[in-house]
Amino acid sequence: MQLNGKHTVNAAPSVIWKMLMDTDVLAKIVPGISRLEKTGDNTYKSILDIKLGPVNSSFTGNLQMEDISEEKGFALKVQQHSKIGNANAAIKIDLLPLGENQTEIQFDGQAKMTGLLASMGQRVMGGVSATLTKQFFANLEKELDKQ
Amino acid sequence: MSTTNGWIGKSVKRVEDKRFITGKGNYTDDIVLPHQTYASFVRSPYAHARILSVDTSAAAAMPGVVAIFTGKDVAEVNGVPCGWLLHFKNGDPMKEPKHPLLVTDKALHVGDAVAIVIAESAAEAKDAAEVVMVDYEELPAVTDAFKATQAGASLVHDDAPNNICFDWTLGNPIEEVDAAIAASAHVTTLEFVNQRMVPNAIEPRAYNSSYEASTDKYTLYTSTQNPHLIRLLMCAFVLGIPEHKVRVVGPDVGGGFGSKIFHYTEEALLTWATRKIGRPVKWTSTRSESFLLDAHGRDHITKADMGFDKDGKITALRVKTYANLGAYLSTFASCVPTYLHGTLLQGLYTTPKINVDVTAVFTNTCVVDAYRGAGRPEATYLLERLVDLAALELNTDPVELRMKNFIPPFDGITQPGYQTQVALQYDSGNYQGVLKKGIEMLGYADLRKAQKEAAANGRLLGIGISTYIEACGIAPSAVVGSLGARAGLYEVGQVRIQPTGKVSVYTGAHSHGQGHETTFAQVVADKFGIPMEDVEIIHGDSEAVAFGMGTYGSRSLAVGGSAIVKSIEKIIEKGKKIAAHKLEASEGDVNFENGKFTVKGTDKSVSFGDVALTAYVPHHYPKDLEPGLDFSSFYDPANFTYPFGCHIAVVEVEKETGKVHLKRFVAVDDVGNIINPMIVEGQIHGGLAQGIGQALFEGADYDENGQLTNGSYMDYCMPRADDFPMFETASQVTPCPHNPLGVKGAGEAGAIGSTPAVVNAVIDALWSAGHKVKDIRMPMTSERVWRAMQS
Repeated sequence: MQLNGKHTVNAAPSVIWKMLMDTDVLAKIVPGISRLEKTGDNTYKSILDIKLGPVNSSFTGNLQMEDISEEKGFALKVQQHSKIGNANAAIKIDLLPLGENQTEIQFDGQAKMTGLLASMGQRVMGGVSATLTKQFFANLEKELDKQ
Repeated sequence: MSTTNGWIGKSVKRVEDKRFITGKGNYTDDIVLPHQTYASFVRSPYAHARILSVDTSAAAAMPGVVAIFTGKDVAEVNGVPCGWLLHFKNGDPMKEPKHPLLVTDKALHVGDAVAIVIAESAAEAKDAAEVVMVDYEELPAVTDAFKATQAGASLVHDDAPNNICFDWTLGNPIEEVDAAIAASAHVTTLEFVNQRMVPNAIEPRAYNSSYEASTDKYTLYTSTQNPHLIRLLMCAFVLGIPEHKVRVVGPDVGGGFGSKIFHYTEEALLTWATRKIGRPVKWTSTRSESFLLDAHGRDHITKADMGFDKDGKITALRVKTYANLGAYLSTFASCVPTYLHGTLLQGLYTTPKINVDVTAVFTNTCVVDAYRGAGRPEATYLLERLVDLAALELNTDPVELRMKNFIPPFDGITQPGYQTQVALQYDSGNYQGVLKKGIEMLGYADLRKAQKEAAANGRLLGIGISTYIEACGIAPSAVVGSLGARAGLYEVGQVRIQPTGKVSVYTGAHSHGQGHETTFAQVVADKFGIPMEDVEIIHGDSEAVAFGMGTYGSRSLAVGGSAIVKSIEKIIEKGKKIAAHKLEASEGDVNFENGKFTVKGTDKSVSFGDVALTAYVPHHYPKDLEPGLDFSSFYDPANFTYPFGCHIAVVEVEKETGKVHLKRFVAVDDVGNIINPMIVEGQIHGGLAQGIGQALFEGADYDENGQLTNGSYMDYCMPRADDFPMFETASQVTPCPHNPLGVKGAGEAGAIGSTPAVVNAVIDALWSAGHKVKDIRMPMTSERVWRAMQS
């Protein structure tokens, strides 16, 4: 499944960057997250509880950041396991400055799914991932407002 | 026996529908037994994975759990068998890897079962199944039948090199066919995919198995098309339990389309497990499981060449097909792409040289087996696409091209049957008749004019023709036995006249929606000259019905109906003896007509009911005659039956979007004599919906990892009523010369003829606008058609 899109937020790349590198902040903005543990440099262990339409399950697994380019972007590797199937994703995330206090966050990648998650197909899973993405950015903006 | 009493040929409303439309149907899932338990399966999320460990301890502690079994527990039990043995061209037997009830070392497709969890409720079983921890090591998967045979492809079974189950050829020697193709004035070549179909029966598979220790007896309720066959396969081949200790019941069954012929692992596993736990075990497939596990259909990759001489006569046909079998051999998987496909490649044509070559391939996908038409739709698709494409390439009319190549009419009685180049002998046919009727109904000449005008105005109108033949009434046992079948394919029909003259009929054909209770009762009531209400049709219970091979291959009436007629004949013969005694006449002078035994040349008569009563109250009775009026017959057909027909589709293609609008669909089918025209029309309609569904909407999509990516109705596009115009149907009747009812079979015809008609129509529409494309991959979505127009 293709995962791509972009979103503009009213903050400088340096601000966004700091938030994305902060475990406590991430724990607040990643949708459905119930536990996020730093297990090493740029690696996390996570538990996500996602209840969205046909996807109703707890996901456990790892998040890993690679190819880190300070304040510019990184590659996110996600491996999640659940009762209803597994999901592996590789997503490239780029922060593009748009003027002084604006950043376009671009993401582009692919998710590989198995089991029920796979058989539900693009039409269901596309909707699920779009909703989760929207929630992520809404949470990010909420956190930005607090700061 | 030539008398009819008006029931045959009447559109009698289906007697079974009263219970179905009032919610009184009794399906397997409706059956709840005392002390019932429920099963849920732990299934592999990977298409190909090594199983490193299975931990059931957490699941075993879950509420309501009764038992959990893994592959190790059933390692000693046989796998489910394949019912048809084929051999490689070199004589070696096909590769027959074990299809275990639960896997131990490796999962070979998504949904392969690793463990079964049995609990007090279905919900508890499901919850516990979700906490069984399985450690997998994912392995590379193969899904495409051609790619799987290429060097470097990962192996599904270690003992099947290149993933090949067998290779097979039929027809004239390849050298002769190659030479004939090379010498042809024109050769039409087509490479295409006949895509994989999901059967989608409305009732998911369901089984409920129980064991009574005091009598050492099993009862299996199963949503099946052939309860006796399941009993035979499960008892003799899988579990090694004696058949007389097993009762298999197929209650009401909500559709199958082939997918419920086969003996599935769950049936045997539940029967094995019920004895282990001493309680009945039930499992009903979820819709997601149905998508992943009910044997799929079709999935051929084919290259075919058809040669023509300068006058447009077909000179030769050469076919190379890669047939996808899935991860294991399903019950009839090996015969579908071979003896049900290769043998039909004569079609309706006099093609003098034919060679077909099939490579059957294992992949990490759901098993593939018979699906409505089974092999014959694939053969028809291949032939009819080639002929219509040849007409376009040769700039000749597709009707003319067909007429020029058709086998001349023959009735199979005064004229012999037609011997094909591919093993079969057609029984009777009048192929010109159905095509002529089809183009008359369509107004063909006017439509061709309309097409030209439309093209001049920038509109894309297309007319697609398909003329098919199928081999039904499956099948003469000796013939199929010589070809590798591990079973006979006769049918059993018992007719029991009750003392009051009412009739109980026991048939081995088992309805899963075809309306046997109506059609068969019509035959019996007609032959005996009694009201239909006096006839009860009993089917689906191995303890009520002596034996049976079930319902598939459009065989029920041609084979099962013929067995019943044989028993009816025996009853009338005995009835005449009783009547002769009662009427004090010689047996030779007794006639049976309109429900009465009469004495020739007199007005003496005795009713059917009186004779029945006398048979059971034999106070005044012929000396040497046994009491009772009850006969059972086995009918083994002399040949297949060969229904045929002509299907024509008219489409308009939207130039801007590629969307296909099916404007008209004409179907003229010759299914031999017709017992109930309404039921035949219903069967044709249903078949058309599935055949057109394949052309325009349906198809299973596996990604390169072997994940089924459209395993729900959100993504798998099922046809809907508003996708279709009102079908214009008609019949021609060329009776079958070799069975007593003269019937050929109607269940699959619609699905066989329709698919190529629709694709041909779209190709024709595109050619009318100068887009000379040869093929559009099915299902022909707007995107695919649009892309074809841009190329």
